[in-house]
Amino acid sequence: MATASNNDIAKALFLTLEDKDGSALSVALKNAVSFLQRKRHLSRSEDILTRLSLLEREKKGELEVNIKSTRTLREEDKKYLREILKKRYGDKKFIFLEVLDEKMIGGVRIKIGDELIDLSLKNKIQKLQEHLTRNQ
Amino acid sequence: MNNHIVENLKKEIENFKDTLRVEKVGQVMEVFDGIAKVSGLSDIKSSEMVTFPKGQVGVALNLEEDAVGVIILGEFSDIREGDEVKATGRILEVPVSDAIIGRVVNAIGEPIDGKGAIKAEKTYPIEKVAPGVITRQSVDQPVATGIKAIDAIIPVGRGQRELIIGDRQTGKTAIAIDAILNQKGQNMICVYVSIGQKDSKLRKLQVRLEEGGAMDYTVIVSAGASEAAALSYIAPYTGVSIAEYFMDQGKDVLIIYDDLSKHAVAYREISLLLRRPPGREAYPGDVFYLHSRLLERACRRNAKYGGGSITAFPIIETQAGDISAYIPTNVISITDGQIFLETDLFYKGIRPAVNVGSSVSRVGGTAQIKAMKKVAGTLKLDLAQFRELEAFAQFGSDLDESTKASLERGKRSVEMLKQLQYAPVKTEHQVVGFYALTRGYMDDVPVERVKEFEVGLIDYTEQNAKTFYKEIAESKMWTDKGEAELKQAITDFKNNFLAKV
Repeated sequence: MATASNNDIAKALFLTLEDKDGSALSVALKNAVSFLQRKRHLSRSEDILTRLSLLEREKKGELEVNIKSTRTLREEDKKYLREILKKRYGDKKFIFLEVLDEKMIGGVRIKIGDELIDLSLKNKIQKLQEHLTRNQ
Repeated sequence: MNNHIVENLKKEIENFKDTLRVEKVGQVMEVFDGIAKVSGLSDIKSSEMVTFPKGQVGVALNLEEDAVGVIILGEFSDIREGDEVKATGRILEVPVSDAIIGRVVNAIGEPIDGKGAIKAEKTYPIEKVAPGVITRQSVDQPVATGIKAIDAIIPVGRGQRELIIGDRQTGKTAIAIDAILNQKGQNMICVYVSIGQKDSKLRKLQVRLEEGGAMDYTVIVSAGASEAAALSYIAPYTGVSIAEYFMDQGKDVLIIYDDLSKHAVAYREISLLLRRPPGREAYPGDVFYLHSRLLERACRRNAKYGGGSITAFPIIETQAGDISAYIPTNVISITDGQIFLETDLFYKGIRPAVNVGSSVSRVGGTAQIKAMKKVAGTLKLDLAQFRELEAFAQFGSDLDESTKASLERGKRSVEMLKQLQYAPVKTEHQVVGFYALTRGYMDDVPVERVKEFEVGLIDYTEQNAKTFYKEIAESKMWTDKGEAELKQAITDFKNNFLAKV
């Protein structure tokens, strides 16, 4: 049998932990950790945890949106962004994680999962550079 | 002048349109030995190009559930853990254009000869499915290599795949170079793919081709020994894509892969690093497909599909003459025949050191011109008989007349097939030489003077048997008139030749 991937383990954990609380939860958690230890998967626990949190977010209908910008976004910008993101990702609860980055010169850079929408000035300049060197 | 540049730049910048698209990104988890493991990058295709922050290009080879194995084309010391990797959505491709002729490019089609950029409007994907059955046509046009032993005994046709196999230092590359040099004026584009070769060797070769005027129709694709294994792995596919570009224009192309043993070794390295299971001789399971899909792309297309052909000369280096090793047997079974070179023959002074007995051309016979077929048809059999008799004759001295005659003829045949490097012989000259040999005109010429006789004869007949040459040039066969003239010329020349010592 193929070895279980981190994703498989995270899914399995999610399903077992989903409807538990209190002492049942702590027993299940303990079992999960000892399972990982028995199978020598403890080194993978960090990745499994990230995947687990992704699954939880998905269940709650949340979507993490990483935003990089040079200035803090205004509320109306965020509202506008939500509207646009809704068109692509459906009606989700968008959780904005904002980071400031002066090096981008201007614009925003939005990352959701492994999808990237790069509207930064830096990216534009880079593309222009490529364009110019290619058509010298 | 300065103003002009500024104006141009201004125009370019004004015309620049940035199309917004959602990019797929991933993160480098680990980098080692030219391989990067990347997380993320969902929906990536196999052999899709990815780019790293400093502009390096990679190719996704292993698509796993939670990671992608990427081979990095070029320098990888700048790539760090955590770097962002962007998928480009394009399968690995190479820029192609007519301007590439006469240039030396690396495995991704960038010029490395210091002659400036190559302007290219088109790109070709380096992996392509070979032309299908209905687009093909059987091989019926010859490739004149200018090497007597090959043109006469192991003829190669346009669209054929003929393996050149032999130990190190037996003249494999020499045959390939001679074949390229002889394509001058034959309406052929040549592509030489150098895989894992020494740069000094490549340089020597390039100079040699330039001296012979062969760079006017030749492209060199090079993945040197000091470059990453990934580049060696893709170089032959790049070469054949360039060849396909010319074939698509209806041209005939000759491509040389020098050599596929190093290619297999490079692929083995990559596969092992990507943790694919090793098989025989530690090569991965798909090493056969690696070469078969490459060599299937050599073909002759019929006129309805644009015509053109790709003739492939893959080269394989054997270890101590062992042709039953894994890679040699694989490639022998893929190709339409092989030219087998032997160390023993090489040191006996028989150069090119072609072992006529073990060499075959499975489809080239139909491509040979009629005249050559007529004069050289029995040569292979005669040589085989000669070798048998030679071994047998060592035991006794009493030999009957016919045996002695065969032995003498055989010695002269071997002598005729010897040829210096970089000295290709034209097909019509070969026909005259072999005519004199197989019709017995050389039987009383001393063995050590055969070479001299041949050279003199060609000179003489060019002057005195013009009808014969004209007939060969026009209809690829002689008539009685031309033959009579040639016979007369040979007899005259021989009388003269034997008279002076």
